[in-house]
Amino acid sequence: MYGLTQLFSGLTTAALLFLVAAGLTMIFGGLRIINVAHGSFYMYGAFIVSSLVGTALTSSAHATALFWTALIVAPLVVAALGALTEYLVLRPLYGREHLLQLLATFALFYIFTGVSLLFWGGQYRSISIPPMLQGHLTVLGATLPVYNGFIMLIAVAVGLFMWWLLQRTPLGWRIRAAVEDPEMLAAMGTNVRGLFTGVFTLGTFLAGLAGAIVGPTQSVTTGLGAQILVSAFIVAVIGGLGSVAGAAIGAIIIGLSQAAGVLWAPQFESAFIYVAMILVLAIRPSGLLGVPEQ
Amino acid sequence: MNISYRCKIGISLIASLGLALFMSGAWAASYSGVVKVGLSTSLSGAAASLGQSGKKGIELAIAELNAKGGLLGKQVKLVSVDDQLSPATGVTNVRNFILEDNVAAIFGPVSSSVAAAEEGIAAQYHVPIFFFISNDVDLTTKHFTKYAFQVVPNTYMEPHAVAAYMIKKGWSRYDTISPNYSFGRSTVKQFLAGMKKYGANINIVGQQWPKLGESDYTNYIPAILSKHPDAVFSGLYGGDLITFTKQAKGFDFFKKIHNNFYALFTMGALKALGKDAPVGVIAANRAPFYAIHTPGMSLFSTAYHNKYGEWPSSWAVMGYTAVQTWSQGVEKAHSLAGNKVSAALSGATVKTIRGPIYLRACDHQGDVREYVGTLSQKINPKYGFRVMDHVYAPNPKKIMMTCAQTLAMQPH
Repeated sequence: MYGLTQLFSGLTTAALLFLVAAGLTMIFGGLRIINVAHGSFYMYGAFIVSSLVGTALTSSAHATALFWTALIVAPLVVAALGALTEYLVLRPLYGREHLLQLLATFALFYIFTGVSLLFWGGQYRSISIPPMLQGHLTVLGATLPVYNGFIMLIAVAVGLFMWWLLQRTPLGWRIRAAVEDPEMLAAMGTNVRGLFTGVFTLGTFLAGLAGAIVGPTQSVTTGLGAQILVSAFIVAVIGGLGSVAGAAIGAIIIGLSQAAGVLWAPQFESAFIYVAMILVLAIRPSGLLGVPEQ
Repeated sequence: MNISYRCKIGISLIASLGLALFMSGAWAASYSGVVKVGLSTSLSGAAASLGQSGKKGIELAIAELNAKGGLLGKQVKLVSVDDQLSPATGVTNVRNFILEDNVAAIFGPVSSSVAAAEEGIAAQYHVPIFFFISNDVDLTTKHFTKYAFQVVPNTYMEPHAVAAYMIKKGWSRYDTISPNYSFGRSTVKQFLAGMKKYGANINIVGQQWPKLGESDYTNYIPAILSKHPDAVFSGLYGGDLITFTKQAKGFDFFKKIHNNFYALFTMGALKALGKDAPVGVIAANRAPFYAIHTPGMSLFSTAYHNKYGEWPSSWAVMGYTAVQTWSQGVEKAHSLAGNKVSAALSGATVKTIRGPIYLRACDHQGDVREYVGTLSQKINPKYGFRVMDHVYAPNPKKIMMTCAQTLAMQPH
């Protein structure tokens, strides 16, 4: 069942892209900042897991325990770094022009890249997939690697958690209100600055989590953050910058169009995601679920 | 004071001669007893591991040269800078090396596009440049200058060596997967040309062109398997190959195609993959220290391991041979002057840790070997990674372009 295998592959791509794009789009939604350094937080998630789990030669039982620990620790460390970044670098820039904020996050991207070289060097690193997540399942005759299924499960869990947080909790209500009218929210007694720090921290937590989850399927190296960032931006733009639900739909569109491209026109496959983006933006310039800027 | 006309002429002559001497690198070098050489390579970014490793090989070669008394009685000093994989930065670095550091030789970059940009500048100032990582065949054909030398198997030789190996297997249905840029495209093209040249009649059942630096191959892997190829030729390497390998394992890819998969599994990739490196697949390496059985190589690899606490990658081996090549050129020419060294090396055979290398007069491409083999069952306990078994290193003459071919492509 090659068609179904390819569908699973497209959905794996979608899950992976959603994990990265969710944090990116949430930060834009809450803070109106396009965070170019998002890819760096993602890269750090993967690097921290690689340091904690060790080389690919570590014994399996020990590595499995370390893997699960690393999956929790890495995003938390990245989130702490995110909080610090927001407090020191971004806070003075709120209300300033977009270009300045963009340049600041761009500078951060380069700084984080340089720092990663100091800490982890330029060598390729690889994180072993724990034995229980190795191998593949056969579903209706189609092949689904267990780890790909795991990535999809995590993506669904993150999606549901984000929906619950934003739609069903007072915190989510405040985050949405902060986007609409931060002054009014502050006047009503909410600590908007603290809220912004919280949103940025959560966004970077998601980036770190994505890096930690995706790390074992990749070569972990300095360029990691830059590779994924472009695709994640496309997903966020298609979905409508700021909309987490939009990012989910955008990720599925990109994942499936990439799978279809490889299936039907491998020569032009790399153009498929851009064609998808152009089509969506031609019909809805603010993205599928985006709200036009006022 | 009245100075005669003759006196004025004399003073200005001495002054200008002095200035000219002062400005000349030869004077500065001989005065200080030091000769500088430049290394502009990728020390940061995606190709940093290659650049850093090559630099270590060069540093070791220079340290050993200096320990033996240097070259023509002078100590050799290395100036190294990062080119950030950018041709513009590479050109600036090379120009600074020549105009400010008065270097006697330049050791080239990782990327062939950077190398192509630097080659013309080096020739303009008559400084020899040695390519040991970048390996585009264009560097010795379309862009050829008499100051450029290449001591790495080029983009024509490598896929031809793989073709010479794979043709013996008798497979007929081939799929290819290669990064969608100049190297990826040309390596597939040359592999297919090689198969044809050696007499194979193969059927291409599918071709995949993921972008360079792709992080997700999950769509490509089932696409290849669906075509049921006998074998897969890939132009993937480095980080891309690691990512592909890890994701392919989830699909049982290597088992399903009976390990009939070729890729450039370099030491960096094999070290990172560890036990995840697929056993039995076909690998190539441009200079694997463990498969080159010369006394010089065993001395070098031990010295390298002692100095850096790791085994030398092919980039380090080739960096070391690049320095050996230049230093023998200097000794042969009895001069540091670029034009004399280049002339001495053209058509010469140099002794290196990889064995003798003949630098063809027609294109200055070294007749270096490419090594093809299968990945070992066990991780080598001494080195800590899977090495290549049953290594096949065809005679370079078999896999090189003929001089007639290269001459036809060179600028006239």
